[in-house]
Amino acid sequence: MKKIIFLAILSTLLLQGCKTAGQAEAKAAKPIEMNPEVLITSKNPGMGNCLACHAIPSRPELAAGTIAPPLVNMKERFPDIAKLRAEIYDQKVFNPQTMMPPFGRNKIMTPEQIDVIAQYIYKF
Amino acid sequence: MKKFIFALLLAFSLPVIAEPVITAGYEEKTPEATLKAIETYFHETMPHVKGDMFIHGALNFPHSDLGYNKMWADRLADDAFDQPFEYTKSLDAGKKLWNTPFANGKTMASCFAHGGKGAANDYPKVDPATGKVITFEHALNACRIANGEKPLDYSDANTMGALSVIARRLSNGDRIHMVINTPAELAAFNRGKEVFYGRTGKADQSCASCHIQHAGQVARTEDLSPIIGQAAHFPVYRPNPVTGDLALITIQARYKGCQKSTGVDKPMKEGSDESNDLEYFHTYISNGMPLSAGIYRK
Repeated sequence: MKKIIFLAILSTLLLQGCKTAGQAEAKAAKPIEMNPEVLITSKNPGMGNCLACHAIPSRPELAAGTIAPPLVNMKERFPDIAKLRAEIYDQKVFNPQTMMPPFGRNKIMTPEQIDVIAQYIYKF
Repeated sequence: MKKFIFALLLAFSLPVIAEPVITAGYEEKTPEATLKAIETYFHETMPHVKGDMFIHGALNFPHSDLGYNKMWADRLADDAFDQPFEYTKSLDAGKKLWNTPFANGKTMASCFAHGGKGAANDYPKVDPATGKVITFEHALNACRIANGEKPLDYSDANTMGALSVIARRLSNGDRIHMVINTPAELAAFNRGKEVFYGRTGKADQSCASCHIQHAGQVARTEDLSPIIGQAAHFPVYRPNPVTGDLALITIQARYKGCQKSTGVDKPMKEGSDESNDLEYFHTYISNGMPLSAGIYRK
């Protein structure tokens, strides 16, 4: 009887383990968001939520904050796009008192997502 | 080797001081100078907000929906015809906890001078024996325990939150008058100050980032309230932006909410030493402001 109970508990635990592993795989399989329109507007975890602080004057239909400079004249302000990418990655390197989240340093977004955003906002 | 192990143990036992955001008030050494520096900064950055206007927080700024805010504030007025159900339910729950006699026949009012009038304004304070901060909610629970009742959960808006609104409203209109005299009080103020200015979470932001450095500016659609006046009006009732249901939020629940939004893995819990220290610093910075517990906030 004890053996049966032991086996029952063991199999339940194993099944639970499989289920958890399966769930983890499903979670890991979720594709990383690469659409810049979503990345700059969504406040969900793993997104940029750029518009919380920056406005895009050429897109007035998008609600935006006033905390940080508007995204205009980007090519003039950042002749080298690498500098723009670096600021999104960790703006504190350039401004120690910034409140801009260090999207790359703290792994909020991947370098690839940061690159997509940099290229997208570079046109404004 | 022993020295190395000792140094290692010491390093892990020391509190981790978060890197601060250096903005108005941080570098001042005394509570008085800290408050003065913050007042001066707001005088320069938001000159239209003066005196008691600070207790209106974000509602002082024009970007949020003023009509929406007025509608909610009107609905919570004492004589409003259409007071929200969640609001009256919360007030009833608080009144029941305040007025219903304990098993020993005494009531909450028996624990405080003047039946509780003005009692909330004696807190937060520092226990001279332990150096720890005692909040008004601690005093409410101490009253229950002294009378043989179970303490309430600091994070439960339906019990402790509701009781806190009713008990704090007995001090509404009184002006915050915190005085920091002893080394233990100064230490508590400084601990809370480190929490307020300290960067935390994945967003690497501090309370000061939004509520000093960028107060009065807009985060997406919401105005950021200045720190002065914030601690005077909690707990508050906030409508869910989607359902419109009102939720009661205590000051320490708000700390937790802010930390969640800035990506803190383990936000401070209500009733924790860290939250209590922050409330101590936070309340001092509203010195002179009139208390107004249980109001509407977006």
